[in-house]
Amino acid sequence: MHKRAAAWLYLSVVTPTLYAADDELPQGEYLFHAAGCATCHTQEDKKGPPLAGGRALKTAFGIFYTSNITPDPDHGIGRWSEVDFRRALREGISPDGKHYYPAFPYTSYTQLTDADLRALWKYLSNRKPVPQANKRHELPWYLRSRTALSLWKTLYFRPGAYQPPSDKLPAWNRGAYLVKAVAHCGECHTPRNFLGGFKQAQHLAGHPHGVDDTKIPNITPDRKTGIGKWSASDIAGYLETGMTPDGDFAGDLMTDVIDSSTSRLTRDDRRAIALYLKSLPAVESKKHKNDRKEKSQKRKKQDWE
Amino acid sequence: MKQHITRTLIFTGMMLAALAPSGLSAAEPEDVIKYRKNMMQAIGGHTSAAGAIVQGKVDYTPHLAEHARALQVLTKDIPALFPKDSDFGDTEAMDVVWTKRADFEKAAKTAKIRVAAFAKAVQSGNPQAITASFKDMGEACKGCHKDFRKEEK
Repeated sequence: MHKRAAAWLYLSVVTPTLYAADDELPQGEYLFHAAGCATCHTQEDKKGPPLAGGRALKTAFGIFYTSNITPDPDHGIGRWSEVDFRRALREGISPDGKHYYPAFPYTSYTQLTDADLRALWKYLSNRKPVPQANKRHELPWYLRSRTALSLWKTLYFRPGAYQPPSDKLPAWNRGAYLVKAVAHCGECHTPRNFLGGFKQAQHLAGHPHGVDDTKIPNITPDRKTGIGKWSASDIAGYLETGMTPDGDFAGDLMTDVIDSSTSRLTRDDRRAIALYLKSLPAVESKKHKNDRKEKSQKRKKQDWE
Repeated sequence: MKQHITRTLIFTGMMLAALAPSGLSAAEPEDVIKYRKNMMQAIGGHTSAAGAIVQGKVDYTPHLAEHARALQVLTKDIPALFPKDSDFGDTEAMDVVWTKRADFEKAAKTAKIRVAAFAKAVQSGNPQAITASFKDMGEACKGCHKDFRKEEK
């Protein structure tokens, strides 16, 4: 009886790791979904062929068109080596030595581990090639030269894989890794300064005018402007089904993230994300502070009248 | 004298017509938007409450049929909550609600059908059917919000 229980425990605990180490394709596929590659690298509404790029990302700096990441030799990554791929994601540099615009979230992907980068490469380089040409970004003249990007990178980019702090639990570290590196939540949820660098003190505190001119919510545990009233299971449930604790459902951009990424994660991974988010320092969003200022001014005015 | 009374009556009638509540004509767009938001919040309230029961977080299983019935009533005619001219103001509804009306009505109908399926599953009492149909219902809500609701600008 004990033996059977021990065997069951062994299977349930040890098998997933063995599985991942034995065959990297499933691990790569899992990461591919978790990282949401297809969401941006496929045309809006899934009208275009998968991973052939062409989705417009409307930002404060101009319109970026995502690139073809199928293994097509002329338009995609068909001529890339694994070293090229790693350099692109870890350092934000293309095989011909150009800096990428940070619309491609290498600022997050740099934290992917070597093992995960390898698994992801194996999966991506085995997709179906699509000969679809890339579109040129629509940018103001002063951003068209990529030389300024090297200065930007020295200011705002710290390359390197995620280093788990030893004083944290494994689940917390897993959550931090998923949020910061894989699912790259901060790319939308962390506000940026006028040069497009992250305001690190407001990690995940939302963005009033985010990508595609939508309001990106604050996901720190602030009770007024963030998700401080959500329990860990509320967060995990939302990432699975899209339902908020008050029965509302995600809309717009986050629906893509839930459908193609977070709903496909394991239950444990969603719990890990929730655990990490709950542990963050609460940041009150600026928008809310302004709202209150306006209100108090109005009240004063009413008092006068 | 008689003429005087008639004149007074006519005058009073005209005054009453002028003062008649404007509710008889079209409602104010902002009131429609407010009403719509309250209806959506009511839907959310029942969905969330039903979800807590379905997921086994709380033990109010006998209430489930009530929530399902409320949801059926609330989702009976969602397009009616989005009349013409209610596209401007404090709303997150995208323009496509009106410009792609057929698609919008189809999405609303899907939601209605899924709610009915959930209500039926609740009647059957089969836990697996309840869980599955609740999930489908959520997918319909999410699907519609994805295409037709802009996150607040």
